[in-house]
Amino acid sequence: MKLRILLADDHEIVRRGLCALLQKHEGWEVCGEASDGREALELAKRLEPDVIILDIGMPNLNGLSTTRQMLQHDPNFKIIILTITDSDQVIREALDAGARGFVLKSDAARDLVSAVEALQSKRMFFTPRVNDLVLAGFLEKGYPISRSERPNLPTLTAREREVTQLLAEGKSSKEAACLLNLSTKTVETHRSNIMRKLSLHSIRDLVVYAIKNNIIQIDMPLEIKGSPQRSNPQVA
Amino acid sequence: MLGLPSVFRGKSWKWVMAIRILVVDDHPVVRQGLKTLLEGQSGWEVVGEASDGLEALDKADSLQPDVVVLDVTMPKMHGLEACRLLRQKAAGPEILFVTQHDSPHMMREALQAGARGYVVKSNAARDLLEAVEAVSQHRVFVALSERDRITSA
Repeated sequence: MKLRILLADDHEIVRRGLCALLQKHEGWEVCGEASDGREALELAKRLEPDVIILDIGMPNLNGLSTTRQMLQHDPNFKIIILTITDSDQVIREALDAGARGFVLKSDAARDLVSAVEALQSKRMFFTPRVNDLVLAGFLEKGYPISRSERPNLPTLTAREREVTQLLAEGKSSKEAACLLNLSTKTVETHRSNIMRKLSLHSIRDLVVYAIKNNIIQIDMPLEIKGSPQRSNPQVA
Repeated sequence: MLGLPSVFRGKSWKWVMAIRILVVDDHPVVRQGLKTLLEGQSGWEVVGEASDGLEALDKADSLQPDVVVLDVTMPKMHGLEACRLLRQKAAGPEILFVTQHDSPHMMREALQAGARGYVVKSNAARDLLEAVEAVSQHRVFVALSERDRITSA
């Protein structure tokens, strides 16, 4: 029987590239494709794929929130997170969310097949660069810090996180309510709870918080002239 | 901006035209995606791939493609610089940028560097084939995400 893979990334060109890569492997098929987290969640529930590959920076529902919700629905889902950044924090959040594979997009051509194979045989897979980072963090701090051990960090509920993402993406309370099947009033209550919990005062503060905490990602390089380096996301 | 008559072409591909294409992007997965899309067209061939601007110059020299599909932000040599150098050569290839920069400013720089086409990566699956066909016939094709496509006869 074929190994069935669900693939979610908001860029169609990237999906095509990943599809071509995965389908070269005999016995594997991409059983579904999604362009945002919400669509991926629906497809995962319907198709029950063997392995799920999620881009971390998708609109409407990011890869981490999608991972949490998928695992809430079925803890046996095997999920690989694809990311452009390999910061210590992102790795920890992916692990916290329950992903069992972590692959950098730039290394995907080399690592994605190994990652799917690993998850298929109930192992975990981390891009080698990530392994080094995790190990370095472990040696430095003595042990990996789990969320419960982080001091004084206000925690948002899954729903609040979703609302945060939608508002930070520029959606109105009404639009967010529509996407989440909630009333506008409920979204506004979530919104004021979020602002209070995080001591934020404006939508601008919320956007900064969402970027810093990987709830949204800016994937458009902002540098314009000359420099071959990708610049850090900034909010004006 | 271009002052050229705009032509909106439909999705039908009536003529089979052989086009030799070099694909340049630092992400192998994106190269693979572009390649899959381009090679789906009968007669079109991806003759080579490069992962930075310098390699693009080398490969363009040896493979003599009709069209170079070029990323902007790449290591070693920036896409704009590679574009200028490619266009300096006599009978150099036509350049089509496929980039994440959804910005009129970058589009202008690209055209000033000698590119004939400009497509935003998030829309590449929609615009790429039409753009390659246009630039291969030395026509301009530019499209930002929020704008209508513009081509010139």
